[in-house]
Amino acid sequence: MKRRTFLKSLAATGVATSLTGAGALTREARARKKINFGEVKSVRVDVLSETSWFDNDNLKKHMLDYGGAMTNQYNIPWDWDNAGGYMALLTVTTLEGKERKILLDSGWNNDWVDYIYEKNNIPAMLKSGEIEFMVISHWHLDHYWGIESTLKHKPDITMYAPKTYYPEDMALLKGAHLTAKNKEGEDVHVCKNDVPHTGKLILCDPDGEKDGIYNPMPGVAIRNFDVPILLRVRGENVFYFNVKDKGIVTVTGCCHPGLLSLFSYARKNFEGYKPYGCYGGLHITLFETWDPKFDDIIKGVKAFKIQKLACNHCTGWIWAEKAAAAGIPVVKGTDKYKSYKRQSTVATASNAFLTNGDHVIF
Amino acid sequence: MNTTAQTGQKFNYFFGLINLVAVFCIVWLLWYVFMNPNTVMKLYTPMYGFSLVVGFLAAIVLLNNVAGGYPFPEVSTQRFGPVQRGIAMTVVAVLLMLFLVYIFFWGFIGKFGIAYFSPQSIIASGGQGAEIFNARENASTAIVYYFTAFLLVALFWSTGFDRWPWQNDDRGVTAWSRLFAVTFFSSIIYILLFHPHVCYLFYPAQDKAGVESWWADFAGTGSAFFGLGLVLCVLFWIVASDLLWDGYPWKYLEKEGESTWAKGVVVFIVTFVLGVIVLFVLMQIMNYFWDEAFMGGQYTDGPDFRFIHAGEICGFFILAAFILKHYFNNFPNLNSLWVGAAIRTILAMAGGMLFYWFYYSPLATFFLAKVPGVAQPGDTSLVWTILFLSVIMVQTDFFEGWPLKKR
Repeated sequence: MKRRTFLKSLAATGVATSLTGAGALTREARARKKINFGEVKSVRVDVLSETSWFDNDNLKKHMLDYGGAMTNQYNIPWDWDNAGGYMALLTVTTLEGKERKILLDSGWNNDWVDYIYEKNNIPAMLKSGEIEFMVISHWHLDHYWGIESTLKHKPDITMYAPKTYYPEDMALLKGAHLTAKNKEGEDVHVCKNDVPHTGKLILCDPDGEKDGIYNPMPGVAIRNFDVPILLRVRGENVFYFNVKDKGIVTVTGCCHPGLLSLFSYARKNFEGYKPYGCYGGLHITLFETWDPKFDDIIKGVKAFKIQKLACNHCTGWIWAEKAAAAGIPVVKGTDKYKSYKRQSTVATASNAFLTNGDHVIF
Repeated sequence: MNTTAQTGQKFNYFFGLINLVAVFCIVWLLWYVFMNPNTVMKLYTPMYGFSLVVGFLAAIVLLNNVAGGYPFPEVSTQRFGPVQRGIAMTVVAVLLMLFLVYIFFWGFIGKFGIAYFSPQSIIASGGQGAEIFNARENASTAIVYYFTAFLLVALFWSTGFDRWPWQNDDRGVTAWSRLFAVTFFSSIIYILLFHPHVCYLFYPAQDKAGVESWWADFAGTGSAFFGLGLVLCVLFWIVASDLLWDGYPWKYLEKEGESTWAKGVVVFIVTFVLGVIVLFVLMQIMNYFWDEAFMGGQYTDGPDFRFIHAGEICGFFILAAFILKHYFNNFPNLNSLWVGAAIRTILAMAGGMLFYWFYYSPLATFFLAKVPGVAQPGDTSLVWTILFLSVIMVQTDFFEGWPLKKR
């Protein structure tokens, strides 16, 4: 029996609907006029680094030892040697053929971020202004704590970040050295920034600058979803690109709001909605473990007819492999990541992840 | 639970309110010590803390509702007053909780029978994700589900069958017989509603041990949150009829003041149907606020979240029903039982919504160190609700309401 049929059979009792009057209710979102935020010719995503940490068990042990997933991330003395970071370079080709670059996130461990930036010529792009602005997807350590590595090349870079920051987040942005106490009561370095941000800071909320989105250039929308996130973080900024003749592409840091929820939002709010693709961490089998609801996501992605799914980071290798096996068009990565000085312990030969050094074009 | 008729004495609602505030503070202190992620024990991971809290509630229900207080005196006596009785039963409930979680499930069933009940056995089996954090969460998930099935059957039995068919036997026989009957039916409920989910918590799935969730197509999710939500919706009606309706209309099916087979069957069928209806209504209300959920949706879009959220809401209703009964003397006490029962039910739902508002407000961030917002992965209000309920039950059942009610 399908869900609809089941619900209808329940409705046949004639009790529930009369109690709620649900059938007569109309959602504001349905009534709202659809948004046209323009089009781009294409968008290319270069994976700078998707390895936020190298050993899952090490990261989980720190979470477990210091209170679990709800703990304040600034109170955990993380293992600095296990830290990497998440960053991506987005290159938008406008309808006129001009290339414009955006930086997504700034990683965690400054040594790793510096290494990755040098490998991809990011310092020069930041200094020259070729990278026009950056977006902090959310305030998680692996996306944000390496901010000094970006600011030291361009302290006045324009930055979009979630409005739902905590005091420690803003202190770091303005310049701070932060520590956490270990079990022995000693202060352990967790993050630092000696280069205060001096540029324009756009704090994003779900209202957006207009119609719920920020529209920094035609065909590019930034949308803030105010969702609670692990390690006492709130809110994530995500990218929507409207690629001409193809459709909507989402680009995310961790995609905490949920991939299908992003497409559901697009379906309700964007004019001429057509699903096309996605890139990013999809926050599913974060620690390479399983749950029946992850099978739900595979079935849901098929139902939403996403044509090009490029994923990595917190998606989980096992989800990507199961999704590919189930017929979802997962974009395969290459072995380039093996030439980097460090690799994740969970990477497999399946290349189900688009990983460090890979790229995808939508 | 206690369905004893009201004494008719004037009830001091102000003292009731003071008692409620005191209980709230005790719950806050317990949360601060054991659950708060920034303080001492940090057990709210969340499933590990959840398993201990629901284990404690199950121990209370086992002692009080299943065993009928046996082997303790049924009520306090001159020599064994409510305080002594309360302390003794609370200590036994804590020890029973520790025994059930750490010895029965982790050390016995998980070690010699079903591996997923023990973190150590999961780790020993090796493979993907077999490390302590995940193993403990998965074992705790299975334990939470078993205790949930136990609570459903135990509270249903207490309201429906009560002492039937052992009404002519002594307390010891009744206690042991009910324990075996409740455990048997709890196991059946667990196998049907929760075991398939737990078997699919692993990669690869344990598909020779458990079938793929049979409800996935019509529920829109393979998660056992479907069953959890349904069980809690049913439990609300069991609790409401027992506490707020003074055991009616089921009492009409009693014979000479004792439960009958027919009473048990009717309670089961009617509360199940009412539970399905309230689940459906709550799902419709959520559809109104968040649009229809879809398979694979996350946060408020996920059918799995909608089901557990329906259960969480019913958890708040149950909590409010207990408070209305024990701290506000089941207000209002009218001549018409049914008008009074209807008003109490509405008050319990309204009170439940007050708790809902509290839990998702910045106040909960202050008191419980919770991240603001709905549908936080790894957060369920059930842990706080069950802790609150446990403290209320300890006071009202073990301490016989002391110090609010004095014999």
